[in-house]
Amino acid sequence: MKKKLIKFYPLIPVFTVYILLFFIGKNVPGMWQLVAMLLFYCALGQAFNIFLGMTGYVDFGYVAFMGVGTYGMALAITRLASIEELGIGIIVAGFALALLMSTLLSLAVGAVALRLRGAYFAIATIGVNEGLRFLIEGARIWNGSEGLIFVSDINNILGRDTADALMTFWADVMVLVIAALAAVVTLYYMRSKIGYALTALREDEDAAKVMGINVTKYKIIAFITSSCFAGLIGAASWALKTPYVFPPEVFEIQYTIEAIIIVLLGGAGTLLGPVAGGLIYGISKYYLAVYVPGFQLLIFAPIIIVIITLFPEGILGMLKNRFQNTGLAHFII
Amino acid sequence: MPLLKLENVTKRFGGLIAVNRVNLEIKAGQFIGIVGPNGSGKTTLFNIVNGVFFPEEGKVIFEDQNITILPPYKRAPLGIARTFQIPRPFCGATVRENIAVGAMFGTHGRYVNVDESLEIADNTIKRVGLRKHRDKPAGILTPVEKKLMEIARALAMKPKLLLMDEAMAGMHPNDIDRMVDFIKKIATEEKIAIVAMVEHIMRALLGMAEKIIVLHHGAKLVDAPTKEALEDPKVVEVYLGKNTKK
Ligand SMILES: Nc1ncnc2c1ncn2[C@@H]1O[C@H](COP(=O)(O)OP(=O)(O)OP(=O)(O)O)[C@@H](O)[C@H]1O
Ligand SMILES: [Mg+2]
Repeated sequence: MKKKLIKFYPLIPVFTVYILLFFIGKNVPGMWQLVAMLLFYCALGQAFNIFLGMTGYVDFGYVAFMGVGTYGMALAITRLASIEELGIGIIVAGFALALLMSTLLSLAVGAVALRLRGAYFAIATIGVNEGLRFLIEGARIWNGSEGLIFVSDINNILGRDTADALMTFWADVMVLVIAALAAVVTLYYMRSKIGYALTALREDEDAAKVMGINVTKYKIIAFITSSCFAGLIGAASWALKTPYVFPPEVFEIQYTIEAIIIVLLGGAGTLLGPVAGGLIYGISKYYLAVYVPGFQLLIFAPIIIVIITLFPEGILGMLKNRFQNTGLAHFII
Repeated sequence: MPLLKLENVTKRFGGLIAVNRVNLEIKAGQFIGIVGPNGSGKTTLFNIVNGVFFPEEGKVIFEDQNITILPPYKRAPLGIARTFQIPRPFCGATVRENIAVGAMFGTHGRYVNVDESLEIADNTIKRVGLRKHRDKPAGILTPVEKKLMEIARALAMKPKLLLMDEAMAGMHPNDIDRMVDFIKKIATEEKIAIVAMVEHIMRALLGMAEKIIVLHHGAKLVDAPTKEALEDPKVVEVYLGKNTKK
């Protein structure tokens, strides 16, 4: 029984961070904006880690799934706005559509691109992101480059007060829930055959095959899972917080880069790493923008390079080594 | 019914014929030695058996099933396991996790869960004497330990056929003795067919073999019971000037 419980210990530090963040944001005046940003980066890191961290493959088109998720929510709200009885159910429908669209896209991309190795995969995925954006703009899909604006729809369906609360508070809480869910799924994968297969293929894909691992299948599992979480984050953090969607914004490659930095900073393939990475990245970005506006990147880039050089396995890799063979080892993975 | 049968297998790399019309039969539980100098096609032959390469000509038949173009990950569950000439551990994973992977996706992979696989790994670790390295990342093991770990990982797959590519290459003589003892032990304890490939004629190892196959320039030069094969003048010729003693 105790052994069973020990398996879940690593979730304790993760959830502690999220709960602390929530209470700080809720109770310290003026902090919610920072907390929301941190939750977003933690969620992003946690979601991307399931693919990047666990498989070692770099998806430069990751933001496309956030974009598609944002569109999912936006489409559900704009198309179903006339059905008044739906009420808050429209948000549920939005998440369902976001999930469906990111699943379909990841299936399509994964089935083709995941047959490519390492660098070729990375290059192919850049194409996916840009291609999708130009397709939407060029073929005028979903209102093309004019995007979708649905503030008034949300206000109409939910009423002003609820809509305000949703945009300024509940959307961020949803991001928190998504981050927590991603952590649970990550731990579940790590403890199941999926995690072992992913570790094996990340370390040596050919040896993994010879040992009976259907590497394509497991890569696709990780890819779809990770992409679905990206879709949910897009739907919650982008569509609901700021109820409009423009292609250049939701297919902005900067977010993919940020996700990569967070995962590497914190420790790829670990559970707690993306949380640590998200916090460090978010806090530095926020305060650098406040104190040295305009020079953030100039200071930020060297900081990241130094950290990644000092701790090649991320913050978590360092912590794991330090607390190896101590009671804390059960919590840090 | 032979466990493994190769029929006229040929594998080319561009103009080079790495494996040339090789016929081969291995029965269940047999210990077979394959010998051949550098570049004679031993590793390539393994790669054909476990599916890393598909041959241009010929057939690979395992337990009456034609597996010539079956992908490697489908062959492992049939009971084909191997070790690599240059060890390929999953470096970032612990020794225990490495071996558990073998149990999880090997012959009985479908029927064992993660906990059972870890248990199998623990038992196998004891047998190969890697107990004190159990929780270390496999990447930091010494080359000999890596070889042992690979064998353990392969054994955890519960294979019917174990292909060992140069289990002793580049080892210190003391380690060679340890390794030979270990292979002898598993050959007698496990009911699996073992094919051991070596570059040189190592009597210590080949003495155990029921038969020996000698490869030369990709073709089968000799296929005979051990004693006969070792005394074959053609074999001596191939190894002329090479270490044919131990
Ligand atoms: N992937 C490959 N591409 C091209 N040529 C290859 C490849 N693999 C092997 N060869 C060539 O095929 C021939 C047989 O190589 P193989 O590795 O099977 O020999 P070997 O008997 O295992 O030798 P060694 O004792 O050096 O391990 C060699 O000439 C080698 O250069
Ligand atoms: Mg070889």
